Amino acid sequence: MPLIELTDVVKRYKIGEQEILALDGINLIIEQGEYAAIIGPSGSGKSTLMHLLGCLDTPTSGTMLIDGVDVSRASGNKLSEMRNQKIGFVFQSFNLLPKLTVLQNVELPMIYAGVSARERRERAMVAIERVELQNRAKNTPLQLSGGQMQRVAIARALVNNPRIVFADEPTGNLDSKTGANILQLFRELSTGGCTIVLVTHDAKIAAQTPRRIEIRDGKIVDAEAMDPVLSGAVLLPRPA
Amino acid sequence: MNLWLGLLVGFKEIWAHKFRSFLTMLGVILGVASLLSMFSLTAGIAKGMREYMQQVGGLEQVSVIPQEPPEEQQLFADTSPGRTIRDAESIVRSAPLVSTVTPVSILSSAAIHRGATTIRGEVDGCWPSFVEINKHNVALGRNLCDLDLEEAKRVCVVGKVIVDRLWPEIPNYNPLGETILLNNRPFTIVGVFEYYERDRDKRRRELGLDKVKATPAPRKKGSRSTRSAFSTANIPFLSKNSTIIVPISTMMFEFKSAYMVGGVDQGPTVKLDALTFQVADLNRFQEALQQVTRILHETHRAVDDFAYSTHEEMFDSIEQNIHETRMSGGLIAGISLLVGGIGIMNIMLASITERIREIGVRRAVGAKPRDIFVQIVVESAVIGFIGGLLGLVASTGMMQLLIYISPGKNAPVVELENVLISFGFAVVIGVLSGLYPAWKASRLDPIEALRYG
Repeated sequence: MPLIELTDVVKRYKIGEQEILALDGINLIIEQGEYAAIIGPSGSGKSTLMHLLGCLDTPTSGTMLIDGVDVSRASGNKLSEMRNQKIGFVFQSFNLLPKLTVLQNVELPMIYAGVSARERRERAMVAIERVELQNRAKNTPLQLSGGQMQRVAIARALVNNPRIVFADEPTGNLDSKTGANILQLFRELSTGGCTIVLVTHDAKIAAQTPRRIEIRDGKIVDAEAMDPVLSGAVLLPRPA
Repeated sequence: MNLWLGLLVGFKEIWAHKFRSFLTMLGVILGVASLLSMFSLTAGIAKGMREYMQQVGGLEQVSVIPQEPPEEQQLFADTSPGRTIRDAESIVRSAPLVSTVTPVSILSSAAIHRGATTIRGEVDGCWPSFVEINKHNVALGRNLCDLDLEEAKRVCVVGKVIVDRLWPEIPNYNPLGETILLNNRPFTIVGVFEYYERDRDKRRRELGLDKVKATPAPRKKGSRSTRSAFSTANIPFLSKNSTIIVPISTMMFEFKSAYMVGGVDQGPTVKLDALTFQVADLNRFQEALQQVTRILHETHRAVDDFAYSTHEEMFDSIEQNIHETRMSGGLIAGISLLVGGIGIMNIMLASITERIREIGVRRAVGAKPRDIFVQIVVESAVIGFIGGLLGLVASTGMMQLLIYISPGKNAPVVELENVLISFGFAVVIGVLSGLYPAWKASRLDPIEALRYG
């Protein structure tokens, strides 16, 4: 069973009188363990697609299965639960809470999962060690560099052991060297078995991922991209 | 997210904006302080009033007062002798529902001499039952007795203040057996009433907390202390402490046989200045009054020239006043607390606008709308809670200030019930003023919230 399966997904917005067709019949499958990039120019609908995949929003029509759960008509509470349990986010602008320490920021998703204080602390420390920031756990985000902040955000995304991590332009606010480090970290996580979807407008970054899903005017352009097998991202066992 | 965590987040948020939170709380603090001070002040006044009511004789005391007879009786109104001792004697004999009665004949502004000391005061000629009806207690010596009455002896029982004013040089002088002059007639002091004071003053005096003398200094005319707004309850104690009673027979023989008003000899009089009785059973109050009415119709030859004055109306109006003061004061203080609540709501609204992005992040990592709602309400409730606590502290200061500004005789009485009401009101205001901001925050769209700023 694929991790994510989208069938004829349409998303329309109404801005004043004008109706905008942001996504126009998306069919997409993402398998467990994939490392993919959603790529497209601004206004193409890639952010909308990420919001849908990330359970921040629901489609106007079509069906969307995430880890076997149909979320296309899910309630706000159900979506919150999905985000909490199965999805991790990494944002371009990090979106850490400036008043909390690194440790508290990483603990945040577990607070809403109802994890006990002690376990929260332990698991947060493990996640922080994974991004090699154990000596900055007591600092606040404002005392960190951009790259460190993004690593905290990654630790926060990973701490509830999500099925999939979405990274929206994760290197957009970083210099190229730090950006490369972050991408390296994603690659390592992917090798370790994480499902990661990057959202970017930068073809050079997208080139580093095994699979590219190119989107333009609300449609997936590359037919191959719709199926991981055809795109070569997943190797089928050779016929004997 | 559980409540405990919500509280923790709330406290942190308040601590992160210490000054702003304090300013927000200030509204609640002042509101609670004024509410509790108001309640305590009125409770103090009420307590003083009730003590006063007790001291003046309670509800069972009834006075017979003169009244203009109705027009149709005007022609034979002269046939009524008015209030006389015969009335009192008839009531004693014929009204079983009346426990005691005393006729009173007053010598007002009598000159009271002892050696070179002269003071002026009121002398009441009465029966020994006067003491019981007016809730007096004889502390030294004895009350008047029937023999004094029968033989019209020149004896008197005096109040403590009179003793202190006649013997100012000796505190707590025992004047039994001493002779004083009342309008130049010698009277022997056979008894002294106890010193009447409020419970609080008594306790303080006994504990030695008050540096003030046990008995008040002679009152200077128009002195401010007796005129202050809170001192009304003290005046009855002063007049009660200045009582002088003599047998009514003595009063009649010595002073009323040639009764002078404004230098004009009025001739002898048997008319009373007061006729007071005590109803035995308050549940049969009206019945007792009917009994007395029938008796007085007999003695007054069917002329309706008398009426009753009870403390009931006065007590009712006092209770009414207390209630009204409490309500209007509470209302004003409540409004100021409400203004404090509006302050909280305003700050919470500003605070969520400031934290839209934070709310977006929390939503993105899995906070449900309910979690955000609880967080904001808890924060606002915590402001109300802390503000309420500080307000209780501030109210003690405010009451001290009020006591300082008007050093009245009714100190505020802090009642637990009022403390709980004031504090509870603050918490409720805190919660209520958080509801709307919380609702607004919980309805933010996570995508837009993340993009904000």
